[in-house]
Amino acid sequence: MSKSRQTPATLNSFGPGAQALFHIVLGLFALLCIVPFIFVIIISFTSEDSIRQIGYSFMPLSWSTQAYKYVFQLGDALWRSYFNSFLITTVGTVLSVAICILYAYPLYRKDFKYRNFFNFLSFFTMIFGGGLVPTFVVCKTLLGLSDNYAALIVPLLFSPFNVIVMRTFFQTTVPRELIEASTIDGAGEYRTLIQIVLPVVKPGIATIALLNALAFWNEWFLSLLYITKNMDVIPLQYLLMRMQRNADFLAKNSAMLGADAAAAARNLPSQSLKMALVVFIVVPIACAYPFFQRYVVAGLTVGSVKG
Amino acid sequence: MKKLLALVLSLAMLLTASSFALAEELPTITIMFHGSNVTDDSAVLEAVNAYIADKVGAKLEVVWGTWGDFDDKATNALLSGDTGIDMVFTCSWSADEYNTYAKNGYFVKLDDLIAEYGADLVAAIPESLMQAATIEGAEGMGIYAVNGFKDTATQNTWDVNVTLLNELGYSLDDFKAMSFYDFGELFAKAKELKGDAFYPFLVEPMVLERMVTGSIIVAGDSGSTNLLSLYLNQDDVSAEGPEGNVILNKFATEEYRKFVDKMHEYYEAGYVDPSLAVAETSNDTRTNTQKTGEYLIGTQSYAFGYEYSADVLDRGIEVAFVPCTDPYVDTTASQGAMVAISTASEHPVESFKFLNLLNSDPVLMTLLNYGVEGVHYTLNADGLVEFTDERASYQPWTNGMGNVTLLPDTAAEGAGFRESFKEYYASAKAIPALGYVFDNAEVANEMAALGTVAAQYALALDAGALDPETTLPDFLAALDAAGMQTYLDAANAQLTAYLG
Amino acid sequence: MHYKPRRRWSWKDFWLVTMALPGAIWLLLIRYLPMLGVVISFKDYKAQKPNTFWNNLIKSKWVGFKNFEFLKSPSTATMIRNTLLYNAVWIVLVLVLAVTLAVMMSELKNRFAAKAYQTMMFFPYFLSWVVASYFVLAFLDPTSGMIPSIQKSLSLKPTQFYMTTTWWPLILTISNLWKNVGYSSVLYLAAITGIDTTLYEAAAVDGATKWQQVWHVTLPGIRPMIVILLIMSVGKIFNADFGLFYNVPQNSGPLYPVTQVIDTYVYNTYANTHNLGMSAAAGLLQSVVGCVCIVITNGIVRKIDADSSLF
Repeated sequence: MSKSRQTPATLNSFGPGAQALFHIVLGLFALLCIVPFIFVIIISFTSEDSIRQIGYSFMPLSWSTQAYKYVFQLGDALWRSYFNSFLITTVGTVLSVAICILYAYPLYRKDFKYRNFFNFLSFFTMIFGGGLVPTFVVCKTLLGLSDNYAALIVPLLFSPFNVIVMRTFFQTTVPRELIEASTIDGAGEYRTLIQIVLPVVKPGIATIALLNALAFWNEWFLSLLYITKNMDVIPLQYLLMRMQRNADFLAKNSAMLGADAAAAARNLPSQSLKMALVVFIVVPIACAYPFFQRYVVAGLTVGSVKG
Repeated sequence: MKKLLALVLSLAMLLTASSFALAEELPTITIMFHGSNVTDDSAVLEAVNAYIADKVGAKLEVVWGTWGDFDDKATNALLSGDTGIDMVFTCSWSADEYNTYAKNGYFVKLDDLIAEYGADLVAAIPESLMQAATIEGAEGMGIYAVNGFKDTATQNTWDVNVTLLNELGYSLDDFKAMSFYDFGELFAKAKELKGDAFYPFLVEPMVLERMVTGSIIVAGDSGSTNLLSLYLNQDDVSAEGPEGNVILNKFATEEYRKFVDKMHEYYEAGYVDPSLAVAETSNDTRTNTQKTGEYLIGTQSYAFGYEYSADVLDRGIEVAFVPCTDPYVDTTASQGAMVAISTASEHPVESFKFLNLLNSDPVLMTLLNYGVEGVHYTLNADGLVEFTDERASYQPWTNGMGNVTLLPDTAAEGAGFRESFKEYYASAKAIPALGYVFDNAEVANEMAALGTVAAQYALALDAGALDPETTLPDFLAALDAAGMQTYLDAANAQLTAYLG
Repeated sequence: MHYKPRRRWSWKDFWLVTMALPGAIWLLLIRYLPMLGVVISFKDYKAQKPNTFWNNLIKSKWVGFKNFEFLKSPSTATMIRNTLLYNAVWIVLVLVLAVTLAVMMSELKNRFAAKAYQTMMFFPYFLSWVVASYFVLAFLDPTSGMIPSIQKSLSLKPTQFYMTTTWWPLILTISNLWKNVGYSSVLYLAAITGIDTTLYEAAAVDGATKWQQVWHVTLPGIRPMIVILLIMSVGKIFNADFGLFYNVPQNSGPLYPVTQVIDTYVYNTYANTHNLGMSAAAGLLQSVVGCVCIVITNGIVRKIDADSSLF
């Protein structure tokens, strides 16, 4: 399938001048995008004294690995939440991608009788919502999403946005004749989807999987809502956000708390520690990124696979 | 189909079996605390449950809210009628604000329960705290939460770096003779000595404003960022203020203008760190700088015994707290930490019995606060509490729990600390409007609008970052446009009615 | 719109329904059931006896549009203007930049470089606004920020960035583009990937230059994706990115004239007043406006290109 696809693109591409321009523009923007992350790494290695004296800086007065030592001292809590983040992200991504594909595919099929109904069912929820408290009540009391992993996965399983994006991928990459041909062959609907459609739409799946994985990896608000007693299931992102929110709260209410606020502030993590945790959060997902990207860019070089 | 039936049957059996198992056990009551730093409560809860089984007739479970997540968790639990939370921390400044939530029916009226089971509680805490908790709630006038016995008075103090003060050639007595308006010469000398990057005046701008102008927070007004103000009689806090018992728009007073003019002068001269004027960086900057002792004069809302606390001792300088008035008891401070029973609770009686015990029984209070003796702390030869390393995994917020006067003295505080603590707060006098709570229901929209306006100007003005000459008139005009007069009139009408 | 004859039900429809079923059940339970809560916008929500959520919902007093009266505030005009204006400008900028970058990336001969750029561009998406706000602070902090420090070393008066509104529309715009362009360009790039290469071959045979190919093959190929993302962002035109407007300016009061948006206003007000009715009302208002915008945009798109429209 892929034997001769490289030729047209290489035969007919932009000249060296345009290529150089592209490299400059893309390179500059890409640099702009990662500089803040480099900055975060620098802060995480900055000594507290330096932060106190000159604030955050690309060139701190002195360096320190104190923050990382402290992170490792978090011990069980850290590794446990790290494990939870991986678990939630993996299970959540697999399930949500499956649900998304299964929901988007019928919407792509113009010959599906209830296409408009299901399309509207999903789309409407992008605009209208019941609000935080009613959703909380339904999830907690009706569905029992409380103090368990399910509470951190189920509320994020479906995204109308991703369904629409996925549907668009179907529309732009899967020619309708392909479906018609396979239906005439008498293939079952599920077989058509899995054996014929999915291989074609790989870049789309990779993209959706990436979006879902990110959503699960970055999620912390669900933990705030649904995890009250069982802190064994919280993800790393929540561990970090809780520290952040503790600091914010003390800042806002210091006048009310008086001496207590100052005493409590002693327990707060230093800035460099927060940044070290950010590094811990970003690195795994950033490492996972090329995995998803392979499908997107591989598709580019090979050209789309047409039957 | 058969398989499904079997599954349903076995599920049903499982459910009945587990409910039988429950029936034999004591009911579980759950309490949600604020501001805790607890990672392992198993040892403590085991001891607590053994201790309260007969006395309360229930098993305790605790939700350890932290500073950052308590507000969301508590309001969600209350607003959603969560039966899983029986008791919850409340007060005049948290998101589940006592007066509002009691008025809207979320808290159980306790008067009958107190009459029946609360004799110990009534004996253990001062009458004035019971009064402060007595408000007009959903079920009429009554007590809707158990009021904690802690630092019940407000006292704002200058936080003075005595080491540096002496270096500049002044004594603490020299300082005490000065007022806010005389600090300029101190600051100038400090700046000269320590260099341009040194900011001598390390303030919490909103607290500073209260210290200088003598304004007092009006309870029930926090939604507008406290722009309403009563005024303190600086000589006798129990007498009525200079303007009488009337609520004013504090930003329109002459004292305020005088204050911000001076503050702007200090700011422009480089005496105030500009980060203090920005909402999200203000307090971080203050606490971080405080730790290093790199300041000359700061502000501190004070609690008795603060000078012995580790965060003051660690600063590496000699610190003195110089009060600018006597401590005074106002509604805000006397509703500072309470625990209410949720109307969604299925076990209000057991919950109350527990609160009664927690606030009157030293054994339970000490256990829940300091942990298990021999594990989280030990008693030294003088009978004082010394914490072990285990304490790191169990640090609840003491003031948020209840009657702190039941606690034994710690080695850091010294023997007799709790006695002096009680004496100090017993001596504090009440302001005339104590107990007055502004009911903002009728002017909620004005409050929301005024709050935004105040948030735009107040902090930056108080910190001196804005020029009052140009911005104060804009500010006052914006307040008027947002309905200041309506808001003020409503508050004053209620105050007059309250004072009768 | 063309008329479609009613079709008979077939087994194919049954199988397709079973595919959509997991998603549909999820939607009904987790999205539709809580929608009953929308009535809170029109009620004075309070605890009733017995205190359970549904009982409170039913028995609380109807108050008509009282919860919407927060709109009477003098800041309303400012916050609505800010929300709409920033969103409108950013929708266009993000679209143009993201498509441009995606096309550039797809045309790079050096595959390794393309991969590297793409990975780097996704990084902003990993960092929360809280973290990004530290980065901005490092430049603008009045005491130790890089820009004020440079100004001081040149004996200029340092700019009080968190007190003056002048620069914030620009700072917010840059922050937003930084965060969102890379992300969107990945979506467009994936869409470009899906374009049938034979179309390029055919164009090349016809003698089209590469620029012409981009114009006549690439852009039409990703038009459905462009249109869909556009319609969806128009639907969110009344919603602002809370973290951007709250954390990046450090919630500084004097900046409100250019940083206050509906979401931050509601947040600040809710944090102060805890009025559930008001926040429900604000959410409903955003939904209704979003709905109207989407229907209008979709209608326009449908007139031009029925295939690309959302519904």
